[in-house]
Amino acid sequence: MGGKVSCTLGEVTNRADFIIFWGGNPAECHPRHFTKYSLTPKGRFVPDGRKGRTAVLVDIRETPSAKAADIFLQLRPSKDFEVLTTLRALIKDQRVDPAAVAETGLTLEQLQDLVDRMKKARFGAMFFGMGLSMTRGKHMNSGALLNLAAEMNAFTKFVCMPMRGHGNVTGADVVLRYTTGYPFGVNLSRGYPRYNPGEFSTVDLLVRGDNDAAFILGADPGATMPQPAIEHLASIPTIVLDPKVTHTSRLSRVHITTAVTGVSAPGTAYRMDEIPLPLAPALRSPYPTDEEVVRRIRRAVARRPAWQPVDENVRSAIA
Amino acid sequence: MWLGKNRRRLDEFFDVEGEKSEELRIVGDAGRVKWIGRDMTRGRIAVEGHAGMHLGSRMAGGAIEVSGDVSDWLGAEMSGGAIHVRGNAGGQVGAAYRGSLAGMRDGTIVIDGRAGLEVGQRMKRGTIVVSGGVRDFAGLEMRGGTIVLGAAELRTGAWMLRGTIVVLQSIPILPTFAYASTYSPTFLGLYAQRLKRLGVEIPVDEHAGAYRRYTGDAAIPGKGELLVWEPRG
Amino acid sequence: MSPTTLRVTGGRVYDPANGVDGAVRDIAIRDGKIVDSVDGGRTIDASGMVIFPGGVDVHSHVAGAALNFARGLTPENYRAARRFLHAPGRRQGLGGITPTTFATGYLYAGMGWTTVNEAAMPVLTARHTHEELHEVPIIDKSTLVLMANNEFVLDLLEAGETERARHVVAWLIWAAKAYGVKAVNPGGVNAWKWGRNARVLHEPVYGYETLTPATIIEGLAAIVDDLGLPHPVHLHCNNLGIPGNVETTIETMKILEGRRAHLAHLQFHAYGGDDWGTMRSAAVEVAEAFNANPNLTTDAGAVLFGDSVTLTADGPWQHLLYQLTGRKWANLDVENETGCGIVPYVYKDRSLVNAVQWATGLELMLLIDDPWRVHLTTDHPNGGCFWRYPEIIRLLMDAEFRKEQLRQIAPKARERIVLGDLDREYTLSDIAVVTAAGPARALGLTEKGHLGVGADADVTIYPGTPDGDGILFSYPRYVLKGGEVVVEEGDVRAVTEGKEFIVHPPSDEGTAEYLRPLFEKAYTMSFANYPVEIERVKGADVRPLH
Repeated sequence: MGGKVSCTLGEVTNRADFIIFWGGNPAECHPRHFTKYSLTPKGRFVPDGRKGRTAVLVDIRETPSAKAADIFLQLRPSKDFEVLTTLRALIKDQRVDPAAVAETGLTLEQLQDLVDRMKKARFGAMFFGMGLSMTRGKHMNSGALLNLAAEMNAFTKFVCMPMRGHGNVTGADVVLRYTTGYPFGVNLSRGYPRYNPGEFSTVDLLVRGDNDAAFILGADPGATMPQPAIEHLASIPTIVLDPKVTHTSRLSRVHITTAVTGVSAPGTAYRMDEIPLPLAPALRSPYPTDEEVVRRIRRAVARRPAWQPVDENVRSAIA
Repeated sequence: MWLGKNRRRLDEFFDVEGEKSEELRIVGDAGRVKWIGRDMTRGRIAVEGHAGMHLGSRMAGGAIEVSGDVSDWLGAEMSGGAIHVRGNAGGQVGAAYRGSLAGMRDGTIVIDGRAGLEVGQRMKRGTIVVSGGVRDFAGLEMRGGTIVLGAAELRTGAWMLRGTIVVLQSIPILPTFAYASTYSPTFLGLYAQRLKRLGVEIPVDEHAGAYRRYTGDAAIPGKGELLVWEPRG
Repeated sequence: MSPTTLRVTGGRVYDPANGVDGAVRDIAIRDGKIVDSVDGGRTIDASGMVIFPGGVDVHSHVAGAALNFARGLTPENYRAARRFLHAPGRRQGLGGITPTTFATGYLYAGMGWTTVNEAAMPVLTARHTHEELHEVPIIDKSTLVLMANNEFVLDLLEAGETERARHVVAWLIWAAKAYGVKAVNPGGVNAWKWGRNARVLHEPVYGYETLTPATIIEGLAAIVDDLGLPHPVHLHCNNLGIPGNVETTIETMKILEGRRAHLAHLQFHAYGGDDWGTMRSAAVEVAEAFNANPNLTTDAGAVLFGDSVTLTADGPWQHLLYQLTGRKWANLDVENETGCGIVPYVYKDRSLVNAVQWATGLELMLLIDDPWRVHLTTDHPNGGCFWRYPEIIRLLMDAEFRKEQLRQIAPKARERIVLGDLDREYTLSDIAVVTAAGPARALGLTEKGHLGVGADADVTIYPGTPDGDGILFSYPRYVLKGGEVVVEEGDVRAVTEGKEFIVHPPSDEGTAEYLRPLFEKAYTMSFANYPVEIERVKGADVRPLH
């Protein structure tokens, strides 16, 4: 029931002989992924590099990544969950309904062939993109692929990871987990962390208009979020920290220009496999770093009278 | 009650009347009030209007009635008692909170209107009835209990292990469900009677149609059943 | 700001390292150290209370990529966890099975423990581990770096190049800014990268010609001794958790003859029987062999009934456990170095296997003669949470209570254990040994675990009588860390920053150049980014070698 079976990208480079990309287009979105990690490099146990690997692309349309794959499986939009659930059954030699399978755009024979190849692999790796995780079914689609990878380990070695991007989103996830226990959608308004995706995740809070201020760092929700969320951001005090003026800056009350992390500000970035990489700035910036701005705001806030909880039960729980 | 991070008195927001009692009436729009009836074990709450998220969450006994709509996580992880919503509900009705192994453990939820995603997710026992339709993933990872749905969108019963889902309209069936047999409603008589006591009628006239029975989900592999009403002719 | 002098008067002192067994003594503290006497400053009246050296945890998982993976996997545990509210000077957090960083510091200090050894760190993610440890307040910390499945080291051991292996190990320790060397399931984690395991100590590891788990164990123990590290090789034996693994464990002790070594969480390695149905405690055999090997130390890895999250570099074991529980599983293989697996688990007193595990941990602590060589741990969070140590202390001190508890467990289990026959009861002095003095000595931390002049003023003051549940050590009145009162009357009063102990063993100058081409082939980051910069280890305290 759920879980995540993963590895660092070097394991893929050194061992993976069977790779599935699902709902992603690395050729255009992660252009170094094929050449640096997953397809072409020679690895310790894959001495022939690209020739030693079989690559499968599963997507709803033939993207430029399809050219890089040995097998391209084109399914109908929003059928990922159906296909993945079918695969979970097929690896366990369960029967499925061929007619219902055909509605996904793929045939039972194609899926059975995929399963046979997966089981013959020495080390299989699955990567998924937003074509899986942000289409109908969302987290359940990702869950289906993660489950499939976990279950494949009864037959051979398999791992699975999301193709994350957009700055240091993995780093935010990592730091939130060790400071609050939860990866995202954390609510600290009661003085301790609470978590409930759908209730406390940013987009849901904004759409419902639950928050009365916004502080935005390293993101541009004004460009990506649905209209009600954007309208709410425009109606409340919104503060943006960004090296450049973003869509969100334009609807915010305050925009603070900061130094570009990795170019003129130091720090740590986490790769999609959660390996921490030190950032050594090459240039100097006239602008303060994000960290410096946040520290100064914190100092100013700390001068205000402290908010203390009044709930005796909660207070005594500390003891 | 809490307003954000601040604790406030109930009477700052509502006119409070009457004595301490096991019967509670909430009149007006409580659509943004969360956690009404959380952990309740007995008594009765009547909401005349809407109610917010987590209504009756983890309740173990008693009854809640809402005349309007409710939001997500209605009766989430509840273990007993009864909830009746006359309007619509959000998603995750009777579901497990993220990460939990079990959703609803027992009790009854009846919704006269529609409901959202993941109704009855990971439920182990109890009954959920949604007379209107539900969205995707009803009975997701269900491990027991009964769900009755007027209609459903996609992926009904996905990854279910055990339990029964009755749908009163034709629905898309996952490839991992196998058609097993067609039930004459005659044999669902007792079942129908039990549902009738909850105020829900399912078709029982064998001249009108029959229930197609599917088993699954083979992905687990599970032994759940889907009963889909098919009118005759 | 903080008082530079402090006196604790009138308490009964348990300081076994200095031969003090319950005598009423005054303790004087100046500038964070214990001294002969002081004038002025605050005086804590500890009359009627008992005074211990601050606890030292020799084996716990409190930070790092694997633990952080576990946090993300189990949000349901946090919903029931103790809450730490944000307050001036104190950060928010959650306790529970895998406490968040700030909460970890508060919980350890709140229990009276002041030093913790994080037992499993890959080099590749060491930078992250140190960042987390920096956010664990109050307590002092050290880390062990994973070595027994590192392909550079294994390749050298296979080739018989022990001297170069030593240089490479030394280089990697400093690259990771670690304190010691951890060996987990030698060879087995590497084999798991092909979905296999290393079950037999004298058979070649999958993918190697001659290298066996035994050669890895021998090789690393020798290297750690030769480098003069303060803590010996810290070994998680092969076949963890598997019925019948007693043979592997005893054979491992033979391989280690003449070498220093610490056997981690011995409970998980002390089972007889052939399968889950016939599993029994083999604590008697294991303790007997252990008693005869004075070169070894160990920790209990005791199990307590209730929720846990199992978390180990032992990937193959975790896959087995996932298949047994059918619940959640996370796995994270780390290129060239190691792996890790995570499975949430509930120990049930009505389960035969779990009841045997529960008894085995206690039996080992009662059957190993010398309390200086067996330390109190639960292999947190594997066998139970560290904040439940007081429950184990009660079981160790009270034979009657143990017998009562025995009645609760699966009846069939009672035939598979000897716990009911053991009447030994730990004394307060024994408790001070297994919680502080012994582990400090095993870690080579000379100023920890005792209250003699020159020691760090890490002092825990407990009430003299048990609490309502019969537990003596659940609630210290005062905890002093480096001479500061960090806990008083059950609340965190001062949030200090702890140190991080590391070592800098010498390696040949050419080692980096030897490793560079190998690294560039095996890894997917730049070699220059691999070693952790010393500035990133906050409060680093480089310790001397032997």
